Amino acid sequence: MKLGLPDLLRTTTFRLALAQTGVFLFLTFALLGFVYVSTAGQLTRDAEDAADLEYAALAKIYAQGGLNALNQEVIERAAAGGESLYVLADRTGRIVSGDLDRLPALPEGAGQRTVFEFEAPGPDNVLAARRARGRMGRLLGGPILLVARDMGEISAIVLKITNAVWLSGLVGLGLSLFAGVFASRQAARRAEALSRTARDVMAGDLSRRAPVLGVRDEFDDLAKDLNAMLARLEQLVHSTRTAGDAIAHDLRTPLSRFRRRLEDALDHPPDAEKDREALRRAADEADALLATFNAILRLARVQAASNWRFERVDVSAIARELCDFYEPAAEEGGVSLVGAIEPGLAAPGDQGLITQALSNLIENAVKYTPAPGRIELRVRRGADKGVLVTVADTGPGVPPEDRGRILERFYRMETARTSPGAGLGLSLVAAVADLHKGGLVLGDGLGGPAGPGLQVSLRLPAAAGV
Amino acid sequence: MRVLLVEDDSELAHGLKRALEEDGHAVDLAGDGVSGELYAREGAYDVLVVDRMLPKRNGVTVVENLRGAGVSTPVLILSALGEEDHRVEGLNAGSNDYLPKPFSTRELLARVRALWHGRDRAGPVTRLSVGDLEMDLLARTVTRGGRRIDLQPREFRLLEYLMRHSGEVVTRTMLLEKVWDYHFDPQTNVIDVHISRLRAKIDKDFETTLLHTVRGSGYRLEA
Repeated sequence: MKLGLPDLLRTTTFRLALAQTGVFLFLTFALLGFVYVSTAGQLTRDAEDAADLEYAALAKIYAQGGLNALNQEVIERAAAGGESLYVLADRTGRIVSGDLDRLPALPEGAGQRTVFEFEAPGPDNVLAARRARGRMGRLLGGPILLVARDMGEISAIVLKITNAVWLSGLVGLGLSLFAGVFASRQAARRAEALSRTARDVMAGDLSRRAPVLGVRDEFDDLAKDLNAMLARLEQLVHSTRTAGDAIAHDLRTPLSRFRRRLEDALDHPPDAEKDREALRRAADEADALLATFNAILRLARVQAASNWRFERVDVSAIARELCDFYEPAAEEGGVSLVGAIEPGLAAPGDQGLITQALSNLIENAVKYTPAPGRIELRVRRGADKGVLVTVADTGPGVPPEDRGRILERFYRMETARTSPGAGLGLSLVAAVADLHKGGLVLGDGLGGPAGPGLQVSLRLPAAAGV
Repeated sequence: MRVLLVEDDSELAHGLKRALEEDGHAVDLAGDGVSGELYAREGAYDVLVVDRMLPKRNGVTVVENLRGAGVSTPVLILSALGEEDHRVEGLNAGSNDYLPKPFSTRELLARVRALWHGRDRAGPVTRLSVGDLEMDLLARTVTRGGRRIDLQPREFRLLEYLMRHSGEVVTRTMLLEKVWDYHFDPQTNVIDVHISRLRAKIDKDFETTLLHTVRGSGYRLEA
């Protein structure tokens, strides 16, 4: 997008440039003032002081020797051709003697300071208006005395300095405005690229990313953060969508079963015993539904949330306890659950989630291993100093081509359709592995009459990466 | 006993009120956090059941305030947010138990009773007994009718929990949480197997059964 001037005026960079220009102008004026005070001001004060002294001396001569003595003195001094101008006039203002032909306006009071202009020949003998500064007043008895210093040349110097400062100020102002406009145009273009990305995302295109120029400036940092945020958002939206689909998929069948049970009971003539049974089974169905629902929510939460607080988790202890916990149930089903657990192996993670993941692995093995069978739970140090948990069984196993799909959410092996809640278990383990920057690998298990068996390996890194 | 139920969903509140009343309790209802806290401070209740998400004042804050004001009535927090961190937050605030929604009514009734009984039995106990079943918590021994019964450490803790709540219905979830400290639903009958193993040790060779199955709810240890 092309930036018009009004748009440009709104940009932060331009405002900053403007403020900078303001500061620049202020400094220029301050410098000007300083130059003026330290040059012209000082010269003016010196001239005035000198005129004051001479005025006082002449006034003293007048007081002692009268008008004639003063006249004599003025004529002498004027003739000496010093820096000062002298004029003596009578009480009517008629010039008696001195350097000027015409008397400047007389200030009120006796011996006041005055500034006036007069004409005098310059260096090239052309008459020019010059400025003088001095003291002028009516002496006792009426005559008027003026003593002044010619300021003409002083003014010229001051004017030159002042002009130079003004000129540099103007050039500087122009340059800083130009730089401001240039910088703000550049910045505005980068900002515009970012907000265009934001607008595209708002319009529904979550795959849009802001351009990163690779110049490592603030805009690149911002663009990178924005892109990271978008990637995360995209992932969240995706997982929410998938959760929605999964809820629909996983709950539809049991919900219809639930409904049919209730309808069955309603359609048949009342029978206390049968009705009770129907209600009880409906309640069980509802419990299973809720369990599935909870599992879906938990899975979505693990996949969506990134704010888990990791702590040191003793994986060996968890495995040991879970082994004790599941061992009786496995044995009841004709399967021996054997633990080979290296003690004291820990990884950074979430205790609850790791417990849940391990329990899902064991539970799956217990569920799919026919009697007589064997399940081995091993915990040992992995190659990368991480913790490796493997659960191997003598069940039917999973054909290699299905192993990718079995980890996908809610994928359920067709043969396992009847067992409630299955299919979610391994997906949760995979999500937990992801969250801990670990991994999950499926392989052949212990082997047995039912098939090659399944081995699931969960790897938890020693240090959870970023 | 007297129960205060602080829950803003009026349908759920009245359903639970009826269930609690049928279970023999007197129930008062409060619809928001502020009035709930006021009732709890003023009334003499045996158990408070407080929803976590309440209008006007959060359930966790209510519990914190009550504990700060010296009200020690046992509290059960109900919550749609059943995840670990919220549970821990609720317990840290001073609640005694935490039940994530959705829960079955039986689960709630069992927990309310357990809270009430738990209060009476607070304090150091060195011996527990139910009928002729005796447990010595210091020597870690169990005898029935004078006959020594050998238990695994887990079985011992399971039996201890059942004995501490003798006469009450104890649900599978309660056992899972209190005995094993697990906060997930095992999909297999793990708890039942543990119970039947325990039963084989404490009941099998004796005339009377102590460990009963309460259909649809859980278990009850009773002489």
